[in-house]
Amino acid sequence: MTEHGYEELLAPNIYFDRQHNTEAAKILPGEYYATARDMLLVTVLGSCVCACMRDKVNGIGGMNHFMLPEGGLDKNNPLGDSARYGTYAMEILINQLLKLGAKRGNLEAKVFGGGAVLRGFTVANVGERNAEFVLRFLRTEKISIVAEDLLDIYPRKVYFFPNNGLVRVKKLKKMHNDTIINRETDYSTRLHFAALEGDVELFN
Amino acid sequence: MVKTVLTVDDSVSIRQMVTFTLKSAGYAVVEAADGEEGVNKAKAHAVDLVLTDQNMPRMDGLTLIKTLRGLPQYQATPILMLTTESSDAMKSQGRAVGATGWLVKPFDPQKLLEVVKKVIG
Repeated sequence: MTEHGYEELLAPNIYFDRQHNTEAAKILPGEYYATARDMLLVTVLGSCVCACMRDKVNGIGGMNHFMLPEGGLDKNNPLGDSARYGTYAMEILINQLLKLGAKRGNLEAKVFGGGAVLRGFTVANVGERNAEFVLRFLRTEKISIVAEDLLDIYPRKVYFFPNNGLVRVKKLKKMHNDTIINRETDYSTRLHFAALEGDVELFN
Repeated sequence: MVKTVLTVDDSVSIRQMVTFTLKSAGYAVVEAADGEEGVNKAKAHAVDLVLTDQNMPRMDGLTLIKTLRGLPQYQATPILMLTTESSDAMKSQGRAVGATGWLVKPFDPQKLLEVVKKVIG
């Protein structure tokens, strides 16, 4: 849990993936990771979305994993919680890529998730809202979308190799436990109660 | 007289949100997509406040502030940083180059307007 409850965190889970024989980072809801190294980024999505973004020239790439705060009413409000938080979740990844040496004009994206897996949610189309947002954001920012696998009813496991841009998506037709749903529900609750605003400081 | 704000950010989405917020409160807004364009727009327009992002292509926010502070007409103009950067180290760099204040994204529209009002009325 972060100080403000909403802050996107640099994914802290780095491990060695035996199956792919490479260093890997596991991205949980509300986290992101960017790298210039040859490694694997992995996440599991229910109704959340992730953007796999990379500089197509130098291979610096990263991934986020987020959902819009539940609210529904502010869908069309350009300054509502959804727009502000979603934009923030995308921007913090882009900024990290730029800091590592990616060029904004070279960025391309693959987007996944937004499945209708959280049936208990009060807003029924939470996955759809997340999917719509990420597509709209990327179009507005003129970042080309080179692949997408959105909506449907299954959770997805996404493997992203930023160096060469390859993505493998596994649809999880059977869930062995509630981990994915519990994680997303916790994340959603955290967002719901967070004040979505950063600190303000005036210097003397 | 209507006050003019220059908003500098490489994200179209952020510029739209900031511009919408400021215009709805009666300010005139000039937009720039990076620090270099920001310097050019600041030279071409009489700007009462600059609101800039930090991480941008071509020229970042800190360099933009440093550059503007070197121009006679911008030595006393309020310049606010609006950024995802929240570390004390970055903030003190901002202070060192002459930023007036530091706002961490995501921004709350009401709070942004309060700060703008405080520094330019």
